[in-house]
Amino acid sequence: MSNSVISVISRFLEEYASSTPNKLKVIDAYLLYIMMTGALQFLYCLLVGTFPFNSFLSGFISCVGSFILAVCLRIQINPQNKGEFLSISPERAFADFQFAHTVLHLVVINFIG
Amino acid sequence: MAHLCLFSLLVLSMVLKTQALTPTHHLTTTDVARLQAVLSQPFTDLKSAYYSVVGLSKLGILVADADETCQFIKSNLDPSSVESLFYAAEASQALSGCEIPVSNDTRDLLLATVSEDSTASQIHQSVSALSSLGLPLASQEVVSALKARISKEDNVLTIILALQTASRLSQQAELGDILEEIEDLAARLDDLSGVYLQFEEGLEATALFVSAAYALSDHVDMEPPLKEDQVIQLVNSIFSKKSWDSLSEAFSVASAAESLSNNRFHVPVIVSAQGPAAISHSQPFLRLQVTDVLCQPLSSASVLVESASTSTSKSAILSQAPFTLREEVFELNFMASQPASGYYQFSVAIAGDSRFVANHVELKVKVSTRVAINNMDLSVVDKDQSIGPKTTRVEYPTKAKASFMADSHQNFAMTFQLVDETTGVELTPHQTFVRLHNQKTGQEVVFVAEPDSKNLYKFELDTTERKTEFDSISGTYALYLMMGDATLENPILWNVADVVLKFLDEETPSTIQAKTLYTPKPEIQHLFREPEKKPPTVVSNAFTALVLSPFLLLLILWFKLGANISNFTLSPCTILFHIGHAAMLGLMYVYWTHLNMFQTMKYLAIIGSLTFLAGNRMLAQKAVKRLEGK
Repeated sequence: MSNSVISVISRFLEEYASSTPNKLKVIDAYLLYIMMTGALQFLYCLLVGTFPFNSFLSGFISCVGSFILAVCLRIQINPQNKGEFLSISPERAFADFQFAHTVLHLVVINFIG
Repeated sequence: MAHLCLFSLLVLSMVLKTQALTPTHHLTTTDVARLQAVLSQPFTDLKSAYYSVVGLSKLGILVADADETCQFIKSNLDPSSVESLFYAAEASQALSGCEIPVSNDTRDLLLATVSEDSTASQIHQSVSALSSLGLPLASQEVVSALKARISKEDNVLTIILALQTASRLSQQAELGDILEEIEDLAARLDDLSGVYLQFEEGLEATALFVSAAYALSDHVDMEPPLKEDQVIQLVNSIFSKKSWDSLSEAFSVASAAESLSNNRFHVPVIVSAQGPAAISHSQPFLRLQVTDVLCQPLSSASVLVESASTSTSKSAILSQAPFTLREEVFELNFMASQPASGYYQFSVAIAGDSRFVANHVELKVKVSTRVAINNMDLSVVDKDQSIGPKTTRVEYPTKAKASFMADSHQNFAMTFQLVDETTGVELTPHQTFVRLHNQKTGQEVVFVAEPDSKNLYKFELDTTERKTEFDSISGTYALYLMMGDATLENPILWNVADVVLKFLDEETPSTIQAKTLYTPKPEIQHLFREPEKKPPTVVSNAFTALVLSPFLLLLILWFKLGANISNFTLSPCTILFHIGHAAMLGLMYVYWTHLNMFQTMKYLAIIGSLTFLAGNRMLAQKAVKRLEGK
């Protein structure tokens, strides 16, 4: 059982390394970074306590929001999905990503206190 | 159909009757005397002489020195002035044996003033002077002049003067139009909360209107179109002011009073009780004064009690009982019907003359009585009822010889009955209190004694239950019974006995302080909100570093993947975009530290629009490049 899991994972990693274009790998690295930041914030909250709660929420939401926006960007940029996003060019996707981030940062900074 | 009409009329009349007004303001004898005094002041000129002489004659009083007054009038008369002639003529008419010499010129002057061009007051003065001096005048000319005047000046005073003038003309003249003015004027009166009816021009105008309207109505023998309630409201307005600013105001009130007591149609009746409307055994007669507005008694009246009933029940104690007239006061022996003490509602009717207005009056009469205390029994009862109670009877107003002892095992009890002294009927006065007064400390505690269903009053004192009221202070207390009621003539304060009370766990009596109501209270210290516990700085710093560490990981990964900025074109829009983007991030930091949302939005709008335009350009260029590259 575990054997097949390991083989699936290793197969997946191989495929990933070979067939994903570089741009997407860059975004994936960014996603990993965001996820780790969010996880560490959550760990702090679990260990030390929720004071100040608004700052924790703001930071955590920032991570979650950034993750989601980056995932959207990745989906829209992926050439394999071109058929579904005919009207949205990669540049347009990036511009949307940028704008949404501005709004997210505004809210986050407002809430961070 | 006819039955229905009759029935509705009956109901309506009953409703109207129950809502009929009675005068709330009227002149008392002192007010009439004051009015007389104002009018009797020594006069300085012809006008004040006119007001005084004619005013006093309206009150039915003759001027003291008629000859001197007559001389004064004759010497101050100015035959070339219509006004002067008017005052002189009217005043001399009021005095007996005073004749003003009249010349042809005077007569011509007066007759010439009767025309459309003179003011209403001039017409009034000349017509009155002509009539008082016994000179002939052409009534029809006067009527047409008045009508022309009214149509030109439609104010209240003009019409009042026209009414006055018309009452001096011959009865054959066409006075119908002027008579109709009374109704129009009455419609112009202001109704103030249903009690007063007056002109906005003031008291004098209202009073003059009343005297003019009744003078004209009497003259043509037609009832004035004023309803009973309106007459009463006018009475309230005119007689509510008891001191008068000027001689003319006093004069107008006097003429209104005279016309209301002496006209052929409406005579308002003033009913007032002599003294308080209270009856008792020592004073069994209810005395009423029935007068007209000038406080003259109406001897021709017959006064009848239609019904007298208690305020609570509607059963009539007395019905259709007449008052007897004795020395100008109507009296009725109400105690003869043996009423119980309390308040009674009397409905009184005054008959005798069809002109009487407001002749149904509601009065509230109080019947008071003396109270006697019977069967005052004091006893000390053991709580466990093992020893029988010892009852001592005390007679009012003596005090019990022995004092009573009650400690925590015993209750002190008191029972008594309150009866009417004459009839023996049981009474329940409003206030029946039992007061215990500690003579040494001055402390007093008051309890209420309550009657049971058989009207027997009971009071029980349980020492353990009531020890908080007494502050657990033992000692000798003097027991008083206090009783009072509005219908009792003899309120009672009776020191019945002395009671020695013993309380358990008593505080030392020397530390008696007045209840600390008014001493300063302990100061409240404000507790500021405690700041929450923060984790130690080391931990925070460690975690900050930890949270920032994935950034390093990101850079390493990107380096490994070969992400680069080799495609960075140095076109102006690209640079502008990146600068704008950096500026936005910087703005976020500044927002966190210094600004509020509004300022941030302002700056963001500026920077954001620049960045957007630049970015748009940049991405377009990139897209073009990408499509070319394909």
